[in-house]
Amino acid sequence: MTRLGFVLDSGSCIGCHACTVACKSEHDVPLGVNRTWVKYVETGAFPDTDRHFSVMRCNHCDDAPCMAICPTSALFRADNGVVDFDDDNCIGCKACINACPYDAIYINPATSTAHKCNFCNHRIEEGLEPSCVIVCPTQAIRVGDLDDPDSEISRLFASGEGKVRTPEQKTLPKVVYKGADPSTLDPLASAIAADGLIWADTTPAHSTPTPVALTAAPSRDDGADMARTVYTTQHKPTWGSMVSGYLVTKAIAAGVMLVASLQVMLGHGSEQAAVGVVPPMVAGAFLVLTGALLVGDLKQPRRFHYLLTRGNRTSWLVKGAYVLAGFAACLAAWWIAGLADAGGVLLLLVAPTVLLALGTAGYTAFLFFQCEGRDLWQERLLLPVLLAQAMVAGGSATLVMDLFMEVPETGAVKVMLAIGVVANIGLVAIELRRHHSRHVTMALADLTRGAQRSRFLAWLLLTPPVLLLELFGPVPSALGGLCALVGLFAYEDAYVRAGQSVPLS
Amino acid sequence: MLNAYPPEENWDDHRALDAKAWPRRVERRFRLVPTTCFNCEANCGLLAYVDKDTGKIAKFEGNPVHPASRGRNCAKGPATLNQVEDPERILHPMKRVGDRGEGLWERITWDQALDEIGERIGRAFREDRRHEVMYHVGRMGDDSYMEWVLHAWGIDGHNSHTNICSSGARVGFATWMGFDRPSPDFANARVIFLISSHLEAGHYFNPHAQRILEGKENGATIVCIDPRLSNTASQADHWFSAWPGTEAFLLLAIARLLIENDTWDRAFVERWVNWQTFLAETRPDLDPVFDNVGPALLDHYAEYTPAEAARVCGIDEDRIREVARVCGEGLGGFAGHTWRAASAGNEGGWQVSRCLWFVTVLTGSVGTEGGTNANGWNKFIPVTPIHPEPQGEWNDLTWPAEYPLTHHELSMLLPHFLKSGRGRLDTYFTRVYNPLWTNPDGFTWLEVLADPEKVGCHVALTPTWNESAWYADYVLPMGVASERHDVGSFETHNGMWIGFRQPVLRRHGELEGESFNRTHEANPGEVWEEQEFWIDLSWRIDPDGELGIRRHFESRESPGTPLTLDEYYTMLFEGSVPGLPEAAAAEGLTPLEYMRRKGAFALPGDQYRVYERDVADADLAGTEKDALGVYRRPGTAGSYGSLDEINGHMPFIGDGSPAVDIAGEAKFGFPTPSKKLELFSETMRDWGWPEYATPTFIRSHVHWEDLDFAAGERILVPTFRIPTLIHTRSANSEWLNEISHRHPLWVHPGDAEELGIEENGLVRITTRIGHFVIAAWRTEGIRPGVVAASHHMGRWRLDEDKARSWGAGKASVEREPDGRWRLRREHGNQPYDSDEPDTGRIWWSDTGVHQNLTFPVQPDPVSGMHCWLQRVTVGPAQPGDAYGDVVVDTEASHAVFEEWLAKTRPGPGPGGLRRPLWFARPVKPKATAYQAD
Repeated sequence: MTRLGFVLDSGSCIGCHACTVACKSEHDVPLGVNRTWVKYVETGAFPDTDRHFSVMRCNHCDDAPCMAICPTSALFRADNGVVDFDDDNCIGCKACINACPYDAIYINPATSTAHKCNFCNHRIEEGLEPSCVIVCPTQAIRVGDLDDPDSEISRLFASGEGKVRTPEQKTLPKVVYKGADPSTLDPLASAIAADGLIWADTTPAHSTPTPVALTAAPSRDDGADMARTVYTTQHKPTWGSMVSGYLVTKAIAAGVMLVASLQVMLGHGSEQAAVGVVPPMVAGAFLVLTGALLVGDLKQPRRFHYLLTRGNRTSWLVKGAYVLAGFAACLAAWWIAGLADAGGVLLLLVAPTVLLALGTAGYTAFLFFQCEGRDLWQERLLLPVLLAQAMVAGGSATLVMDLFMEVPETGAVKVMLAIGVVANIGLVAIELRRHHSRHVTMALADLTRGAQRSRFLAWLLLTPPVLLLELFGPVPSALGGLCALVGLFAYEDAYVRAGQSVPLS
Repeated sequence: MLNAYPPEENWDDHRALDAKAWPRRVERRFRLVPTTCFNCEANCGLLAYVDKDTGKIAKFEGNPVHPASRGRNCAKGPATLNQVEDPERILHPMKRVGDRGEGLWERITWDQALDEIGERIGRAFREDRRHEVMYHVGRMGDDSYMEWVLHAWGIDGHNSHTNICSSGARVGFATWMGFDRPSPDFANARVIFLISSHLEAGHYFNPHAQRILEGKENGATIVCIDPRLSNTASQADHWFSAWPGTEAFLLLAIARLLIENDTWDRAFVERWVNWQTFLAETRPDLDPVFDNVGPALLDHYAEYTPAEAARVCGIDEDRIREVARVCGEGLGGFAGHTWRAASAGNEGGWQVSRCLWFVTVLTGSVGTEGGTNANGWNKFIPVTPIHPEPQGEWNDLTWPAEYPLTHHELSMLLPHFLKSGRGRLDTYFTRVYNPLWTNPDGFTWLEVLADPEKVGCHVALTPTWNESAWYADYVLPMGVASERHDVGSFETHNGMWIGFRQPVLRRHGELEGESFNRTHEANPGEVWEEQEFWIDLSWRIDPDGELGIRRHFESRESPGTPLTLDEYYTMLFEGSVPGLPEAAAAEGLTPLEYMRRKGAFALPGDQYRVYERDVADADLAGTEKDALGVYRRPGTAGSYGSLDEINGHMPFIGDGSPAVDIAGEAKFGFPTPSKKLELFSETMRDWGWPEYATPTFIRSHVHWEDLDFAAGERILVPTFRIPTLIHTRSANSEWLNEISHRHPLWVHPGDAEELGIEENGLVRITTRIGHFVIAAWRTEGIRPGVVAASHHMGRWRLDEDKARSWGAGKASVEREPDGRWRLRREHGNQPYDSDEPDTGRIWWSDTGVHQNLTFPVQPDPVSGMHCWLQRVTVGPAQPGDAYGDVVVDTEASHAVFEEWLAKTRPGPGPGGLRRPLWFARPVKPKATAYQAD
């Protein structure tokens, strides 16, 4: 067998960018995105200054997170070990971009699908080396076969002389660096100074820890001084308000049904409107909104059905779709039973509804776990946080619904809401106080003190009042609930963005 | 297992899977047509992939059979595709309809352009105003074609860009060995000594980088001298950030250490250096024996101690000793290079190359394996198949009396000469050249180009819009790398080769059975190529043949019709390239077909120690051996009675003496008057500069000890290049500009602190004639006391919608009431809609600052080289300053011109000559033209 990898020889690299341009030419890569690029890092003080170069690209990992998360197997393993992609399968969900710990994947604006280095597999197929390899003036990019123990790449791995990027991610990368300065391989070991890059504009999307992140985590893991990034490329965050909104809408849908289930358990199954009919309608509406946001965030929305027809079952996007579909079915059954005023049936539906509601609220934790590039989202408390948020969202939404109809057992609802609020804030507080990796520390700094500060503060200010307001009448309670919902959105938005704020390359 | 390129036999029908369709298997059919890159001078090989279904070029890769580039390229090679597809390129001949610079144009036919320009030039020739026709070239492209054209026209009308480029280095090398350029054998070197950034920039950087890294792999020590940390410096074992302008001092200190340590190649120096002259001229008190040379040199260079070098250059003494030790251990393997850098930066910069060659000589590394050859022995210039007589004219606008020793024309002084009333131009061609932007003092160029009294008609031959073309009368689109013919050769390694540039789509069409009369029929739009243009233009200049010009451009096969390029190149490749006809025959091809198929040819033979070759007795017939052993041939520049005698016997370099006696054998030697390496240059002595006859340190015009640092003075290095860009041609490549589009001012953090410059803060740089405003980039990668900004950026356009590129911002130019010029940046790069979707994806805005406008001309009094480094005052921007502002007083710049002119020691030299006959000169005239009036 063949398992192809690249040797990137930083000792021979002269930083000429020929590989970047040859790749752009071979694959017609548009402006603003890159399959491969050269990072420049400077270290030392005059006259002992040095500049280091490292070529950045897909690592063709043997345990590729992008493949695991890709819901439609658009990213696939070729026979030669390369992680390749098929445009025709891609729905543009961008999950792979968050799963990749190497900033290697981008959405091609011309095709609206995910692209990355595919080792020029169309050339390999015909016995030709990749474009970047043949153009390189100093032959600093070389192809190797990891299944051949005598190959240069195997020897570099075996001897330990070769280094890989972020080995702690355990993705088993097949791109090995020879002679690279550690500062170029660790994305958090260097930063762009306020003066910017050596010969390109710096945009907010250029890879660098922010000053706030650096204040929170100033020291490099290897103890060396922070180096200076003087050339790199931009990597725009791909998940934004649509994803944050989706987190809120499905929390509401799940939470409303958790409340309705509580009501049934408390013996109110016969309250046709307030328990049997309206909650599944409200939850259904938010579930539809959830679906709309999910589809709307796709770069290829017309291909959304590929999730089911071409579904990759290792992907939590696909599993999540099954959960959402199951939950939708449950809602429909609930609603029909409600219309039929069949309280007994509702009692039977409580168990599956609660399970699917928890699944709907919580599966995102597993999806986010698959985002290997976003260490903030890997934190273990995410699942309980999502469940607590469902309680907050469900309770709050129900208090708003209480304005328009007679909701039974508002006391219990308020208790549930209060538990949710306290749990949510408490869990976040625990998370913030724990010791984290530099990556997560930087993401949390961004969340609480950096670019997401105002969103985070909005959440902190808008969530607790409901604890007080719900002690008063329906209107103050509903107002408190609304505030909590807005706060929840602010938090989700901050969390989603902060997770993507830490550079990977 | 994998190959780099499809096998040559498949080039006419290469099938490949479509990259975009993959993993679906969609097969595409290509023809691979070789050509050569036309971005930097290196002429690296390219293979154009012509899609047989669309008839368009799909991509450019390297040409694996090219001996220099060996299938590899820098970023600029594949980016040629951008230049072909650039949405803003000029596709048709244009003629100005408004005022000059107004930006109003009408499309005309090639016929009209040829008729009108031909008539104009013909009139000038008939009225004996030959010197009013000038061809001014930026990137040459072809080594000898224009010499043929200009000789046929009988004019001394060649002008080049060389004195803003490499005149300095050339004089330093030429005064040692005749040849004006080094050719290091990096791959086999033991010491690679770079006063340049040849790993990442400069001419030949791709072929050189390949071989420098090979040398490094083989254990060579790399030394790099550069005030800033270039990529090259970052890969060097020793980076010396010497004070700019002190490089020669450092080299002389190394030279002295070699002698002091007795680690110099005494045998080589004794055999090949004119040490007898050195002793006789500098130490008549000593016996003329070689044993006295070492002590005499130690005396001569007594002040160049390591300690003093450390002080003057501002570097560590121990490291100087260490490098000298490494050089001494690597005798015969010293591969050194300098081309622009310090040689082009400083007054006296030509001595940097002269001192570098001194070390090359002392280490016995001249022409050795791993040493440094002369370019002439690694570069092959085929003789044009048609040889009109050289012109009998001498053009004082380009070769003024003040600079008898310059290498190449005083091109940057042209506008000042025109302003001073030294002449006018009737018809002025700029060819892939943008003097207004590239030269120092661009506003003076603007004044002259806008003035029809000074420049009657300006014809810009260019693939793309540029600042100078905006002020032209005709803008004629000429092809990029895949759209033209040229033959080029460069000294990239030990060996000789020629590369052939050809119009790819014409070649493809012809192989598909189409026929074309002219290349513009096959190129995009009506884009043409100069070589056919000159033939057709020559016919229009001399339609009836009475000027005697037309006959040189007439077909030999079909008299009465213009020569075709097929015919020209058939003659050239059959008659002028040794070994090519045989190699072609071996493959059953004609030489022309061989070149069209392969794009390059490596001449057979080894080029080491060419000077040691024996000269056959037959070649010595009729010569006389002089006292120093030089075989002189009567009727050549080495031995003549009257200049008339040597008309027609002027070699390109040297005085025509065929050999020198070395230990009783007639050897080929060097093309110098002594036929040896000239430690003591009698030419320098005889032409007014006796104090510079030996390698010397000349204190630069920006010498640090003369600066008032406390008052904010600093040295500005405005010249350095970066790997992705090349002068003004790369502005039309989106991929290159995406990577690099800003050139902040490198300043050491300590300096920034002292000068009050904030991070990314605006800085005003004041020169003697004006100022510009740029942004700071604080870095530990530059010497304190020195600031630097790459020369590439700062392109601009005056019209919002015309002449756009990926690198030009919108600007306005106006004259203030006090007469000063002001360039104001209105905005940088912006996305816009076009047929090319990527124009809507432009994400960067910076386009840099046009700093060259603020530099006065500073011609070195000996070499004529513009001394690029500037003594400037650096400080934070002042109220009202905006990024990109440029303000210049051209009256002040003219005064600076006159000041520098006054430093010269004008000719004529010995014999009443305008220039040493033995010196090389582009489009060398008849010997009689050398006689000053």
